Amino acid sequence: MILVILDHDGSHLRKGALEAIARARQLSSLGNLAGLVIGENLGAVAEEARNYLPTVYTAEVGSYTPERWAAAAYAAVQKSGAQVVVVASSRQSRTWTARLALKMNAALLEDTLESSTDGSRVLASRYSFLNRVTEKQAAHLPVVLTAKPNTTPPAEPQGQGGIEALTVEQPGAQVEVLERVAEQKKGVSLSEATVVVTGGRGLGSAEAFAGVEALASVLGGAVGATRAVVDAGWRPYGEQVGQTGKTVQPSVYIALGVSGAVQHQAGMNKSKYIVAVNKDAEAPIFKITDYGVVGDVHQVLPALLEAAKKLKD
Amino acid sequence: MKFIAVLRQVPDNEAKLKIEGGQVSLGGVTLILDGMDEWAVEEVIRLKEAHGGEAVVMALGPERFEEALRTALAMGADRAVHLVAEGYVDPISQAQHLAETIREEAPTLVFTGGQQADWDSQALGPALAEALGWPVVTWTTQLELEGETQAKAKHDLDEGAELVRVPLPAVFTSQQGLNEPRYPTLPGIMKAKKKELRKVPLSVQSKVEVLEQTIQERQRLNQVIDGSKDPVAAANQLIRLLHEEAKVI
Ligand SMILES: Cc1cc2nc3c(=O)[nH]c(=O)nc-3n(C[C@H](O)[C@H](O)[C@H](O)COP(=O)(O)OP(=O)(O)OC[C@H]3O[C@@H](n4cnc5c(N)ncnc54)[C@H](O)[C@@H]3O)c2cc1C
Ligand SMILES: Nc1ncnc2c1ncn2[C@@H]1O[C@H](COP(=O)(O)O)[C@@H](O)[C@H]1O
Repeated sequence: MILVILDHDGSHLRKGALEAIARARQLSSLGNLAGLVIGENLGAVAEEARNYLPTVYTAEVGSYTPERWAAAAYAAVQKSGAQVVVVASSRQSRTWTARLALKMNAALLEDTLESSTDGSRVLASRYSFLNRVTEKQAAHLPVVLTAKPNTTPPAEPQGQGGIEALTVEQPGAQVEVLERVAEQKKGVSLSEATVVVTGGRGLGSAEAFAGVEALASVLGGAVGATRAVVDAGWRPYGEQVGQTGKTVQPSVYIALGVSGAVQHQAGMNKSKYIVAVNKDAEAPIFKITDYGVVGDVHQVLPALLEAAKKLKD
Repeated sequence: MKFIAVLRQVPDNEAKLKIEGGQVSLGGVTLILDGMDEWAVEEVIRLKEAHGGEAVVMALGPERFEEALRTALAMGADRAVHLVAEGYVDPISQAQHLAETIREEAPTLVFTGGQQADWDSQALGPALAEALGWPVVTWTTQLELEGETQAKAKHDLDEGAELVRVPLPAVFTSQQGLNEPRYPTLPGIMKAKKKELRKVPLSVQSKVEVLEQTIQERQRLNQVIDGSKDPVAAANQLIRLLHEEAKVI
């Protein structure tokens, strides 16, 4: 049995959930599929999920803690006898799936780009060494696998499954959430944007990001930031790209006043096209750019904005 | 109280990686204490300085990891435990073995890096927590002890952040903003040579096999436009290239 654990926002399945189902279907020679939704008031998402899977388990456990999610997932594994678990990769899921893998004494294949089976093992590829190396991994069952977002086309509906509620024992020691600080998001989500315009310390001030926002908006993209910029308090952490921020893979990544430190590259080096504007022709970012402009960002950015506006008119 | 940091030794960020026989070869590469683990080490040293007790550093890895443990001792950790295992050991198996040793130490808390700079894995912290039966807080940016039995922490989520209270013992993983790691001083380095570094040989079966590693760098066009004299012309050319040649805008 292959168990897909379905990420949702309380009313709908997230895109990652449909990608995870697609990944699970690719492994269907290893067994039948079942889904699991975890959270509270799961009626609507379970109804949606049954359009994709022959069995959908629900685990009403309350709000998220890694301990609860791992306990719920493990209850579904025991109930279904699943030997393979597939989940969309996120910081949150990479926390609780590690707990789950240990409960199952399973191999964990983290943040995989693709996956398949040779009949007895699960094979997968993923990035390592700060996104610089691509590696192929293999593991015998049981296996817990997380699927990197935007690596697989989302699954289409198929059949009409049954819904079954699970009882899950509350775990003992766990975190208690005192306060959640949501970052207000406007415009396109950074992780899913096809165009990302990132500003670095070279912009010189928080105010200069007005130009970055304007360019991102004209191109229908999202704003990114380097750590130097986030540390300076010019932009929120949620926009940071890199090792300790988000990983993005847009069609075009435009880096303005960014030096291109390895830790920054770790979050963007797989972008299809990379563009940089930097006044220093020796800046490391130019080693990985397709189109580089050597110049002052305060002069080039307004001109870029004008040219982009003209193009989009 | 006792505070444990679990660390790794990884290639220096600027190191040029090479592939030999389908595997990353670390020959000739400068190896350092993982930057995210450095935050974890700094944090346990600060906790010990503030609350008393002991700061212990621990690692599971090949002989060469001793250098990274010595760096942590030079920063101010009191002693080190090195589970010596050659070859690749996946983080879940690592957690199972480290947990045994950690349980014997009975610490107040364990800290490790949020993501490993070599394997890009985020699993070690939460897997350790599971093996120990403790709660876990990942991507921690602030930590404050409330006596010996609980702590308050702030940590990053996929979007936004969260303030949590957590019963101790617990496992935490680091995130930028947690602290500013100190540099080892010369007297610190001298003292570190005399500090206890206990080695425990281990033979571990990895649950995951690495079949092949490659460096698939995208061929970049490396087209450079001079924007210093006529920024407007440069900008126009760039937008045209993105639209007509790359077709991405
Ligand atoms: C463990 C660890 C994790 C990290 N994680 C991340 C991460 O996730 N993301 C991240 O971004 N960083 C990360 N860093 C930090 C990283 O090493 C760099 O310090 C950071 O990326 C630098 O940001 P920057 O390029 O904006 O600034 P700088 O390195 O200061 O570069 C500014 C650039 O702007 C150029 N410039 C200046 N003025 C102008 C002008 N008028 N016109 C045009 N160009 C100009 C300069 O030539 C320079 O190249 C991490 C570091 C560590 C140790
Ligand atoms: N990300 C990784 N995943 C799996 N194996 C790795 C990874 N990085 C390095 N290795 C391999 O693990 C083996 C032992 O490396 P070391 O622990 O550095 O002695 C070598 O063959 C490395 O190539």
